[in-house]
Parts: sequence; C-alpha cells; structure tokens
Amino acid sequence: MTGPKILTADWDKPQSWSLDTYRASGGYQALAKALKMQPQQIVDEVVKSNLRGRGGAGFPTGMKWNFVRKETSFPKYLVVNADEGEPGTFKDREILLRSPHMFLEGLIIGCYAIECHLTYVYCRGEFRESAMARLEKAIEEARAAGYIGKNILGSGLDAEVHAVYGAGAYICGEETALLESLEGRKGYPRLKPPFPANAGGGLFKQPTAVNNVETLANMPAIVTMGGDEFSRLGLVPKNGGTRLYAVSGQVRKPGVYEAPMGISFKALLDEYCGGMRQGSTLKAIIPGGASSAVMTAAEADWASDFDTLKAKKTMAGSGAVVYLDQSVNMAQALANLMHFFAHESCGQCTPCREGTAWLSRLLDKIVAGKGEKQDVDNVHQIARQMEMKTICALADGAAMPAKSYIEKFRADFDALVRG
Amino acid sequence: MISLGTQVGPVESPFTPEQQQRFDAGLERAIAKYPSERRKAALLAALHLAQDELGWVSEPAMAYVAFRLDVPPVRVREVATFYTMYRLRPVGRHHIGVCNSISCWAMGAEQVLRQCSEMLGIRPGETSGDGHFSLEEVACLAACGGAPAVLVNNYTFYENVTAESLKALIRDLREQPGKAMAKGPLPRLPDPHAHIESQSTPQATGTLGQPAVTTRAEAGSTEPKR
Ligand SMILES: Cc1cc2nc3c(=O)[nH]c(=O)nc-3n(C[C@H](O)[C@H](O)[C@H](O)COP(=O)(O)O)c2cc1C
Ligand code: SF4
Ligand code: FES
Repeated sequence: MTGPKILTADWDKPQSWSLDTYRASGGYQALAKALKMQPQQIVDEVVKSNLRGRGGAGFPTGMKWNFVRKETSFPKYLVVNADEGEPGTFKDREILLRSPHMFLEGLIIGCYAIECHLTYVYCRGEFRESAMARLEKAIEEARAAGYIGKNILGSGLDAEVHAVYGAGAYICGEETALLESLEGRKGYPRLKPPFPANAGGGLFKQPTAVNNVETLANMPAIVTMGGDEFSRLGLVPKNGGTRLYAVSGQVRKPGVYEAPMGISFKALLDEYCGGMRQGSTLKAIIPGGASSAVMTAAEADWASDFDTLKAKKTMAGSGAVVYLDQSVNMAQALANLMHFFAHESCGQCTPCREGTAWLSRLLDKIVAGKGEKQDVDNVHQIARQMEMKTICALADGAAMPAKSYIEKFRADFDALVRG
Repeated sequence: MISLGTQVGPVESPFTPEQQQRFDAGLERAIAKYPSERRKAALLAALHLAQDELGWVSEPAMAYVAFRLDVPPVRVREVATFYTMYRLRPVGRHHIGVCNSISCWAMGAEQVLRQCSEMLGIRPGETSGDGHFSLEEVACLAACGGAPAVLVNNYTFYENVTAESLKALIRDLREQPGKAMAKGPLPRLPDPHAHIESQSTPQATGTLGQPAVTTRAEAGSTEPKR
C-alpha cells in the first residue's frame, strides 16, 4: 500500500482507540496548537486545505464554517453526523472504533473554530453497543484529561460533547432530518432555506454546522501541517487530503483504505484491495454509495474526487466503493437498491414517495421475468421525473442509479424482459 | 388506544420497580444531555430505554414515555412508528436482522436469509412459536466490508457470515436466555412496501422550515413553536 497515512496512522497499533496510544503518537498536540490560534485563523487554514465534506455532498468545510461564523446569533452548534447509513459505507464506524480520539480532537478544534460550546454526535442506533460505546469511553477519557469540559487546557474554552443515538432510519443521515431526530422527532427533512448554518435552520433554530465524522477527524492534521500542505495530499485541485475508501463487493480484500483523495478506481482496486477475487472479472463500479450513478469496468481509470465524478455525471459521495463482478445482473442490483430507497423514503414528497415505490414495483416485475421492454423505458422515465423536485436529495439519490444502470447496462435489463 | 390524545395526565408505569430504577437512571442521563428547556428531545432515548426493559414498545410504554417527557402521546406514537429499531409488537428473545442491502446482497445475503429461515422455521417478519427467535430483513448495517452481515438483538454485529458460522451462531443463541422478551406472534410487517402504502394517505407536508404537522394535537404541542 502506498500514500501517506493520516486518519489510519494508529489503526494497526494495539489498543489504538485508547488515549495513551493516541497521545504516544502526538495526539492532542494539534488541539493545544489550535487553542493558541485565533478561531478565524483555523477556519482560514481549513479553507486553504480544500477539505471537502466526507458525508456525501463534498461541500467545502471551511466555507460551511465561515457561514456559521458570520451568524450573530448564539449559541451555535456543531453536530456530528455519525449516522452512516448509505449502503456500502462503513468508514465512520471504523474511525469511531479505532481512532475515536483523533475524531474527538478534531471535534473540539471545530468547536473552538466556530465558537460552539455544546456539541452532539448523532450515531446510528445500531452502533450503540459498539462504535458509540467506544466513543463514549473516549469522551470520558478526554474529559478526565482536560480535553473536554470547562476551560480546556487552560485556554478558557468550554466545550461539552454528548453522544446520542438514532433508532434506525437512513433518512436521518440527511442533515436536516438528523436535526429533527436530534430534537426528538421523526426524521422528516426540513425545507431549505433556512439552511442549518443560518439562524432559524439549525439545531433548536440556532446556527449549526453539521459535519461528518471523517471530515472532523482531519482537523488535527490540518492544524498540524497547515492547510496548504494538507491540500497537496489530494491528487486533484480543490480536493484536499486523503480519503477513507470503504470498499466492498467481490474484491480480494474488502475493507477501509486510506488513499490520496482522487485516486483512480483501478489503482484503488489493484494496489489496495488485491484486485478482484479469483474467478471474478470486474463488471461495474458503484463509486460513492448506493445513491451514486454506476460506472462500467472500462471507466475504472476515472479519478475518484468530487469534481471529476460530478463532471462525469456521478458522484464521489460517501467514499463507499462497490466493485461488482460478472455474476451480478445489474437489473437485479437496481431492484435491490430500489427496495432500499422505497423503504427509506420518508414519504413527505409525492415524487419521492410514489416514485421510489413505483420504481421498486416495476423492477420487481422485470426481475421476475414478467416485464416488457416498455417497463424498462418507464423506469428510466419515472426516474427522470423524480429529479430536482423534492425537499431532500434522497429522491435524486434514487433516480441517479435508476437512470444510469439502464443507460450503462441495458443488456442486463433486456435479457429479463419480453419483446 | 392513545392515538390522538392531547391530555398528558399521570400514567401508570409499565415497569417493575427494578426496571423502573434502570429506566429512571437512563432517562435522567439522556435528559441531562440537552439544555434544560429541551428535555423533550430525549424522546428517542426514552423509547429505547423502555424497549430495553420490555423487549418492545407497548402502548402503555408509549403513554408512559409521553407522560414522563410531557409530550403529546401522538408525537410519541409518531416517533415510535417512524424508526425501524422500535419493536411495535413483541418479538422473540433473540432478534436476528439479516442485511439485505447492496453489498451484502452481492455477497450472498439471500442465501443467509434462506438458511436462517429454514433453521428457525420462520419467514422474515415472524417469530418462532416458542418465542425464542424473530427474523427480519434489515437495511445496510455499515458493515459492508464484512458482507454478508447480520445484526443480533439490535446491537451485536456478525460479519462475513458463512453457512457454518450462521449455524454456530444460531446454536449458541438457542442456549442463551437472550433478552426478556414477551412471547408473541408477529413483529413488524415484512413487506417493504407496506409502510409506503400506509403513507400514501394524504399528509400535510409542513410549511417552510418546519416539521410536518399532522394533527391539531401536534400543532398544539406544548413545545414552543418556531
Ligand atoms: C438521504 C441522505 C442520507 C445521508 N446520509 C448521510 C450519512 O449517513 N452520513 C453523513 O455523514 N452524511 C449523510 N448525508 C449527507 C448529509 O446531509 C450532510 O451533507 C453531511 O452530513 C454534511 O457533513 P460534511 O459536510 O462533513 O460531509 C446524507 C444525505 C442524504 C440526502
Ligand atoms: S425526497 Fe423523499 S426522503 Fe427526502 S423529504 Fe422528500 S419524501 Fe422524504
Ligand atoms: S450492505 Fe450489508 S452491511 Fe452494508
């Protein structure tokens, strides 16, 4: 394996999750350094770092923090998205299990940067006794050591961290649904504007930065090496740092790999994952979680950064890469995805609620061998009609695969239908 | 039925004294995480805590949670029915969730589900006659690198499941007492479209930046409205 290790530097050490291990490798020194800087200076470094949100949208983190800083209403909140529900994604769980302190250090740096004193880590409910338990243990250790709580490291900063958990709902990963859930309601995404960063749109209506676990885990590195150097770790302009790629599918060694942001899918497969399994030939790549448009094997040389993939009409999303082999029929794969989206649609918007349900039924019909050519065309058309019409991006996330699977693997559909 | 009540009067606790103690301690911790005027935000945690004790979220449990947090019972019901980890009917003492999302599906989840179903003698969505096992299909567990993955009793992950490891898991679980869960026939509905259907009845979608308002009771919530 090649490339610098930032987020995974400690992962192979014994008790990598303990405070002792983390401190032995320089942990919490970045926090001490950050607390001697001005909050705006930190945000400026984050802007320079070209760190893009690792939750899915790839929004520039420094810009988001500047939005929050510009608001004059206090208190402000930093809310962490540890809901990790996008099918294929399993890297935030690994951070919480293996290096919770790196994440916590980043979180406290974030609190200082946006002047927040109370922060919540919203974990998916299933993590309660595993990743979240580990995180809670780390919070206690950090509090005892003076990294969380009142007057942190004598700087005058007060910051409290609470881990809370959801109860099983993919939609609560969407940031405004997450805020609703955090406030004790069902996870209905909110209409925007106001955006969470602005007064009226965030947690308890206060300005709020919602950030992914991995996004925040990068903060110690940014403070330590400076934004410019961090940015150069990425292989593509405006896409800074390394990224945790969560790889699954028929590869020899599935797992979470840290690679330079923008590595090609081919290099990721061959150099990190040991290639495809014996007897498997690469057929399709899901580049950024279930919601992303699919790629063919011939497109494996594409770079995996946010901007390249956007230009190619798909997305880098959550960094979940699924390599599928020749045994997979892509119509069946799409039917599987659509069950998921139909089940997880919150039901607020008609195009999403009805669209995902219709797509799911049509695809089931096709997969059952009862479909006609027209049904395949209908799937494509329904998907097109769902786009850009809804409160949140779940509908677009269902439409994107639906269209692309048909466009790129039409033969798999045609093989199942009559006429 | 508590479906539309707006009155929050004293409600009898569904817990034994021992359960009550644990519930109270847990609830206190959950509430303490929020600013004091925001205690209602602990609703999800309160339902989890009730389920920890009872094995599922019963009607009396919902009513009691509403009373304790001073939220309209309808809102408790809304939350309890929205999230899939809350069991709305009694389930077996061991609940097995088989991930059916894309990575697990591609690595043989259907086979795992079939084997589970055969070994336990129940279909997804059912509970065995002796109340020992329930089986359910669940969405991606964030364990895709260990596909196919299985979740036992909501919180315990089993990964890289094979025919042999599944057999061993079920054998082990048979010998363990598991969670004290009430005996009963059916957990939540297995049909993935069922909840879509039930949601296609008209629903208000709320105004700008506000959560959906479904009933007067909710609109008249005691919480300060935006
Ligand atoms: C349907 C849906 C599900 C999402 N699920 C997650 C998730 O599980 N974890 C996550 O970090 N972001 C998720 N997001 C993205 C969040 O809305 C948000 O963009 C992100 O948490 C922002 O953090 P970042 O800027 O650090 O990436 C989801 C978005 C949508 C539309
Ligand atoms: S797009 Fe779908 S999931 Fe998002 S708010 Fe609308 S109905 Fe809910
Ligand atoms: S697809 Fe099964 S754990 Fe993610």
